[in-house]
Amino acid sequence: MAYSEKVIEHYENPKNVGTLDKDADDVGTGLVGAPACGDVMRLQIKVSDEGVIEDAKFKTFGCGSAIASSSLATEWLKGKRVDEAETIKNSMIAEELNLPPVKIHCSVLAEDAIKSAIADFKQKQAAKRALQGG
Amino acid sequence: MTLGLTPTYGLDLSALDARYHELSKVVHPDRQAGRSPAERRRALSLAVDVNAAYRALRDPVRRAEAMLARGGRASDRAAPSPAFLMDVMELREGLAAARAASDLGRVRGMADEVRARRDRVIAGLAAAFGAGRDDDAVPLVAELRYLARFLDEVRAIEEEADA
Repeated sequence: MAYSEKVIEHYENPKNVGTLDKDADDVGTGLVGAPACGDVMRLQIKVSDEGVIEDAKFKTFGCGSAIASSSLATEWLKGKRVDEAETIKNSMIAEELNLPPVKIHCSVLAEDAIKSAIADFKQKQAAKRALQGG
Repeated sequence: MTLGLTPTYGLDLSALDARYHELSKVVHPDRQAGRSPAERRRALSLAVDVNAAYRALRDPVRRAEAMLARGGRASDRAAPSPAFLMDVMELREGLAAARAASDLGRVRGMADEVRARRDRVIAGLAAAFGAGRDDDAVPLVAELRYLARFLDEVRAIEEEADA
């Protein structure tokens, strides 16, 4: 199966590969896996006090489409507010990368990773508020 | 069952190999001299089926998928626990670091640990299928796929080192 040019571009030159401090309160971490193929993806966001995603990093062990999907996701996340980030859908990623039907699950994995990172961030913020309130 | 074996997960692999070699000989194209074209075509199609069945049964992931499919269950839905995923991520990062450092000893050490872990999952699958607890097998198949992917990566690193 041939990869689209955009997939190859992200695969050969992935953006934002790396790690943020998972224990920091302003960092949300999403770790997801694809049980059908054994790929794993970690996506992290660092959020400013104003609720803007100022940095995003990922690490993906998987096929070219999974790497490209997470690379594109981190590019889109940077500079967005958290509520805007929540509107990113796998179909947008699949369309941008011209993913064929058999690789749609890679974009689903990226959307799940974004949601899971945001959920982790929100949970940390809620825990922090509870501590300050108490 | 193409190979005429009882469907069971805890398959005796040497019995599987023996049965495969026996059947392969019978249906081998070289043994079809003097047969009619229709008989030869039938032997060829049987040989293809025997090869496919053998490959599927020899592979622990595909064997489990076949067992689940017999019970009408999909095997690609269950997600393993977050703790398991975290382990896999750490293993994959460790392997990538060992590869980057060209530390083949470290790669092989990690591979031995993962193989032992894989064998424990396979034993768990045999127990689950043996007791008719197919639902318990579903998350184990997912775990097996993650560990198999790790070992695929190890093979790629070893091939790269041999080249």
